[in-house]
Amino acid sequence: MKRLLAVLTLAASCSAQNVADVVRQGEQVFAKTCATGYCHGVKGTSSGAPRLAGRGFDQAYIANVVRSGVPDTGMASFTTRLSRPELIAVVAYVATLNGIANPTLGPADAEATVSTGRALTGDAARGADLFKEAVRGFGRCSTCHELGGFGIPVAAPISKVPGSVAALKMLTTPSVKTAALDGESMPVLVLSDGKQGPVFYDLTSAPPVQRNAAPGSVKFMDGSQWRHSSAISAYNDSELTAILAYLRAVIKP
Amino acid sequence: MRFSLILLTISSALAQDAGATHDDWPHYGGTQFSWRYSALDQINTSNIKSLTPAWLFQTGDYAENLQATPIVVDGVMYLITARARVFALDAATGREIWRYQSPEVPRNVPGFVGSRGLAVSDGKVFFGTKDNYMVALDQKTGRQLWKVNIDDARQCGCNITAAPLVVKDKIIVGGTGGDGAHRGYITAFYTKNGRLAWRWYVIPSPGEKGNETWKGDSWKFGGGSPWLTGSYDPALNLLYWGTGNAAADFYDAERVPAGSDKTKDVNLYTASVVALDPDTGKLRWHHQEVPDDVWDYDSAYEVLLMDREIRGRLRQVLVHMNKSGLTSVLDRATGEFLGAFSVPEVRTWIAGITEDGKLVGRNEPQLGKTTTICPSAAGAKSWNSMAYSPRTGFLYVPVNELCNDITPNNRAAEEGKNYMNGEFPVKLAADRTTFSHVDAWDPVTGKRAWTLPYKYVLLASMLATAGDLVFTGNPEGEFFAMDAKTGSRLWSYQTGAGHRGAAVSYAVNGRQFIATATGWHSSVVGAAASALFPDQEWRLGSTLVVFALPEASR
Repeated sequence: MKRLLAVLTLAASCSAQNVADVVRQGEQVFAKTCATGYCHGVKGTSSGAPRLAGRGFDQAYIANVVRSGVPDTGMASFTTRLSRPELIAVVAYVATLNGIANPTLGPADAEATVSTGRALTGDAARGADLFKEAVRGFGRCSTCHELGGFGIPVAAPISKVPGSVAALKMLTTPSVKTAALDGESMPVLVLSDGKQGPVFYDLTSAPPVQRNAAPGSVKFMDGSQWRHSSAISAYNDSELTAILAYLRAVIKP
Repeated sequence: MRFSLILLTISSALAQDAGATHDDWPHYGGTQFSWRYSALDQINTSNIKSLTPAWLFQTGDYAENLQATPIVVDGVMYLITARARVFALDAATGREIWRYQSPEVPRNVPGFVGSRGLAVSDGKVFFGTKDNYMVALDQKTGRQLWKVNIDDARQCGCNITAAPLVVKDKIIVGGTGGDGAHRGYITAFYTKNGRLAWRWYVIPSPGEKGNETWKGDSWKFGGGSPWLTGSYDPALNLLYWGTGNAAADFYDAERVPAGSDKTKDVNLYTASVVALDPDTGKLRWHHQEVPDDVWDYDSAYEVLLMDREIRGRLRQVLVHMNKSGLTSVLDRATGEFLGAFSVPEVRTWIAGITEDGKLVGRNEPQLGKTTTICPSAAGAKSWNSMAYSPRTGFLYVPVNELCNDITPNNRAAEEGKNYMNGEFPVKLAADRTTFSHVDAWDPVTGKRAWTLPYKYVLLASMLATAGDLVFTGNPEGEFFAMDAKTGSRLWSYQTGAGHRGAAVSYAVNGRQFIATATGWHSSVVGAAASALFPDQEWRLGSTLVVFALPEASR
């Protein structure tokens, strides 16, 4: 009966009252599903899993993570665990935690994301294509970034968009460290370093390789020789300008 | 002169030995020569009647069926299921040593569920996944060591179902997606750390030789995915691989340049067998079997390497079957065409083939019309492998006599989405009572030595042994053995589920085993075949069944 009511609510026109109701329902779903145990904590302020509040996530990204999960982490796909209205509600709620006052109550699936992409025009539309252009092989943004339902989420979600191509090229990457393993030194992005041994991405060459090492076998040091400007070197300035326009269009600060 | 003759004899002996497996079954195709032939002869034509189950292993993964070829190294068997559950088993008893479960793949990831095998080398076990990761496990413990994504499956509509091939310090793998708007490739990673070694695109980009065989931008989405496993000749240091069909499959107007000569090299390097340098991924030579393919006739199948005397001269040859059943014999050092023969009994796609390998009398489906084409897009042989015995000199081939009614359309390409551009319901070849047969073919003469008809379809791989036996299974669940010389059926065992996988042979402590994957279905060809025989209920399953002679009798 509860579920039927929720469906009816969503089927009705999306008045402000409905949005508030759905977000409230999402908060309840979040409290009993996402905030529990070692996971995202009360109001997404973090417990064991990453903080979700105030991260600058856009709604398409939230919907995608809820739908697909994050590989090799505790974050599973929730498409079969929650009902469709519950999914829509929880995505809307997490959106409000990220400063989106009026979240969309549309379907929380890939179609929504793709249609957002299609609505882009001019430089932003070109940037969306360039971001994941297949002919670039492992030299495209989507080799390491997931956005709009495409790409491999090696890096954390993009939350801040550099103001210019120059700023993009100067981008610092403090999370990239240097690992010493088997007498070799390599730039890495550490995913975890627990009892099972460290899990990290080896960034020596594209595509990044996720490595699982034996406990105590790797030494990590802050800083690295790795440069984001090298990773994007296959793009020219005009292409990077278009990609920035795309990022600005879909990532809300 | 005498010196070179001696050299040839030696290299021949090496090739014959390199093609056979012994106690181990180290590669997908047995050895890197892909014969699926075991030199073991403890089980042979004189005692086959006593062959009996020794142990069996239930994988518990009934997602599709068990299609994989097991790998056996030093008495340990490595097995992968459709959803990438990997097991290490004591090959003598079936006792589980370790198991590994790939993370559940999100439902929005497109592509086939299925795995045709894994590879073992360098202390690691390698396999691909539905969401396009290449994964390496510790061979001793099953612990994950590295994984790397080869492409976003949601974008490319491609994934990995094939077993990868180990060549020296690299693990090399092809992908699916060639029936979609996608540009296929073969990728090599270093076994040690998963880093990219090279990628070879089936379709050349502008500026590269061969791109001129594509119209406009059609090369970007022209298919050609090499979705099965290649072979390797260490003496020549050449890697051989078959490539997939051109896309759009049944409609060529968007991809073939005006005025193309359709007898040679159109839409390179689709529907071809290619030789690559395994160290660099550079193309050494190619032979296109179906220029401008408009029938969905992939050349993605296994590549068999052998040394045979042809017209009085010992040649290093390569034997390769296209999905149409057209089988090419090439010099594997140079790619020189030496001959070809066609295996299906019903053939309507071409009238014939010239002595130098050109297709004659192409019967091309036309836009808006329906044309009956035989053999079907399911293949005169499907992806399941043939076998070769150096004792008889025969290839053992499971052949199906099916057709398609093809009606092409001209839908536009959309990246990663289906780009077959046609309706093509499968039907039985007309005026027949049997719709498949196991054949023995001599690749030198191009003649069929014997044939054993079967009333339904045959979709499992073949195994040949030095006991002069040939094994395969049928959808009714029978696993059976034939006399390699005559084709007479000597033995069979009802395993309870249909066969769509592969059998291997190996030995532990002097005891020879024959192991076969069982389990019917498969979402494409198996499903189509089941629909053709609605009165049959072929059983699903996912069990490895292992046979041996009773301990007392050997």
